Amino acid sequence: MSRAAEYDAVIVGGGFYGSHLALDLRTRRHWRVLLLEREHSIFQRASYANQARVHNGYHYPRSLVTGLRSRINFPRFVEEFSDCIDRSFDKYYAIARLSSNVTAAQFRRFCERIEAPLEPAPPAVVALFDRDRIEAVFRVREHAFDSVALNRAMLARLHDHAIEVRLGVEADSVRALDDGRLEVACSGAEGPETLSATWVFNCTYSRLNRLLTRSGLASIPLKHELVEVPLLDVPETLHGLGITVMCGPFFSVMPFPPRGLHSLHHVRYTVHYSWQDRSDAAWIDPGRPFNGLARRSNLPYMIADSTRFLPEMARCRHVDSLWEVKTVLPRSEADDSRPILCRRDHAIPNLVSIMGAKIDNVYDVEDYLAAALA
Amino acid sequence: MTLSDCFVSVVAPLHDDADIVEPFLTEVTHVLETHYANWELVLVDDDSTDTTVPRVLDLLTKFACVRLIRLSRNFGPEIAITAGLDSVIGDFAVVMMPDSDPPQLIPDLIARARSEVMGILSGIRPERARESSLFRSGARLFYWYANKFAHLDLPKNTTDFRVYSRQSVNAISRIKDQGRYLRTFSTYVGYHNATFVYEPIQRRAKPRTRGLVEAIALGFDMIVVSTTHPLRMATWMALSLSLLSAVHAGYVLVADLIAEDVPTPWAGLSLQMSAMFCFMFVILAVLSEYIGRLLGESSGRPLYYVAGEHSSSVLIADADRKNVVTDSIGELGTTESRRPPLGSGQ
Repeated sequence: MSRAAEYDAVIVGGGFYGSHLALDLRTRRHWRVLLLEREHSIFQRASYANQARVHNGYHYPRSLVTGLRSRINFPRFVEEFSDCIDRSFDKYYAIARLSSNVTAAQFRRFCERIEAPLEPAPPAVVALFDRDRIEAVFRVREHAFDSVALNRAMLARLHDHAIEVRLGVEADSVRALDDGRLEVACSGAEGPETLSATWVFNCTYSRLNRLLTRSGLASIPLKHELVEVPLLDVPETLHGLGITVMCGPFFSVMPFPPRGLHSLHHVRYTVHYSWQDRSDAAWIDPGRPFNGLARRSNLPYMIADSTRFLPEMARCRHVDSLWEVKTVLPRSEADDSRPILCRRDHAIPNLVSIMGAKIDNVYDVEDYLAAALA
Repeated sequence: MTLSDCFVSVVAPLHDDADIVEPFLTEVTHVLETHYANWELVLVDDDSTDTTVPRVLDLLTKFACVRLIRLSRNFGPEIAITAGLDSVIGDFAVVMMPDSDPPQLIPDLIARARSEVMGILSGIRPERARESSLFRSGARLFYWYANKFAHLDLPKNTTDFRVYSRQSVNAISRIKDQGRYLRTFSTYVGYHNATFVYEPIQRRAKPRTRGLVEAIALGFDMIVVSTTHPLRMATWMALSLSLLSAVHAGYVLVADLIAEDVPTPWAGLSLQMSAMFCFMFVILAVLSEYIGRLLGESSGRPLYYVAGEHSSSVLIADADRKNVVTDSIGELGTTESRRPPLGSGQ
């Protein structure tokens, strides 16, 4: 006689993917779902400290699939989270003359192919750039999301759908019981406890392999990067503008709605260092290198380089920097594609590890799962 | 010692320098990190055929703030330096040749360039005694012509060791000429320029030097790209020759009318012919040099192509990975091969 599990699904990790998946499983399949989050609220880590960009395909001129999927998911995301989207700024893509992997003509063609709206930038905006270094500037349709508003909206929806959320609780291991149920060992402020579930979804991003290795399972090769996201008070000439310089070792200065500031990302200087999870070595706690090394801001480098393209950058005031662990699939190093990882474990098939890079591509993995679970 | 807040970039072109790149990189990095809060070293590989690139990629995992730009083919050191200058982000850029320029001088040079608000500070090496007298007199002739007549204002024996201010880097990267000689550009863009004398070091037992023919060709090129003085000379020559010819023609006509039975002056005629041809060919040569130059510039092609850029990425988890070095087939094979050799095992 098999006992019924306490939950149909336990979702480990209250980032955007985990929370959205919880809602999806609840509304689509009417499952009893539990969401575990080790921080004091959901969306505290990588879902907060990032570029806040809702991708509309422009960013991936060299990967048609990624570009196209972003293009398809963009309206869906913008519609679903309409209140959490910042539309108050104009978004521009500038194409660098030197060292760019795309030319202006190729970029225009790519956008036509994925039917992404594109128009030449007005002269006042073009005049902000150094024309010796920038070949062309385009106005595009792309937004930023406000992760604090997103957090509020998501918590309300989790509540409305009676999804249980436990904050300050971390899942430590998963074990398959003889009757097919999964036992999840957790630890939190109230001490250790065990839960049982039919399915476990591991949505812990940089800590994916912690859960896997502690469960005695093989880890997934993942690369982690310590990234610095400087938040800037930009001069009034850049107010209301989001600017991305394509496509190579360049930068992006985007509004960061939760703070009313701009965030600066630089392909060359945002990542301070990296490390890899290997299947044959012990898991490396991102918390250790994260705190262990002195944090010396790379902002002077980012400003020195971006000023060459956009002289106004010299007038930005540094407010502070967010530091976060970013996790990528080693396979995306070689190209532009940013696929979502969705992997069922070989030893415990009902344990699914999910890791996405872009917030609006969450629908892809849910559609994929819906088909897989059916 | 407090670190200077001045942002210093060092550019070094590499070509088949696998043997010296590590000591060079070690010394430069040491000098920079002990003097400056923010700095970078940009290495430009000019399509080396030896193991320079893998060597540098390996060093990138050990040293921070180093970048490698790989050019798509061999473009020559001038273009390689240009590619580096296009990419540096510092307040000052120091260009140096890895085999001969001493990194220890950088702090003093930067301090001088800063305090005297200098555009370009160019290195000058002492006269090389081991060069042949032919070579030296050729060089003297070149500088005499370049400075006295073509007004290029070239300091004698300048090397590629230079400090550029951000302003002059920007000015130079706006010049898109295919024929690039940074020492003539340095004069051309102006700003406040000065020189310094230094004793080059020898990282190689046998330094690479230019052959005589190569040096002569370089001299011609430098003149042609930076001045039209030879063209003006050709104009004067053509004018005086045509005047001379006209006078001569008049004389021949008159002689033919007055005198009877003029003997055919075989020697005179041939001398006249060969002198004329000599001058004409000189004029043609000057013209063709400039036509070639025009053709080169009118193509409007990019100066160089970048095959790839690599930045330092020091994997901090190395300590944890010591025990897995001997993996024969890791799924991350490429990174594995780029791992720096580590000290004693844990």
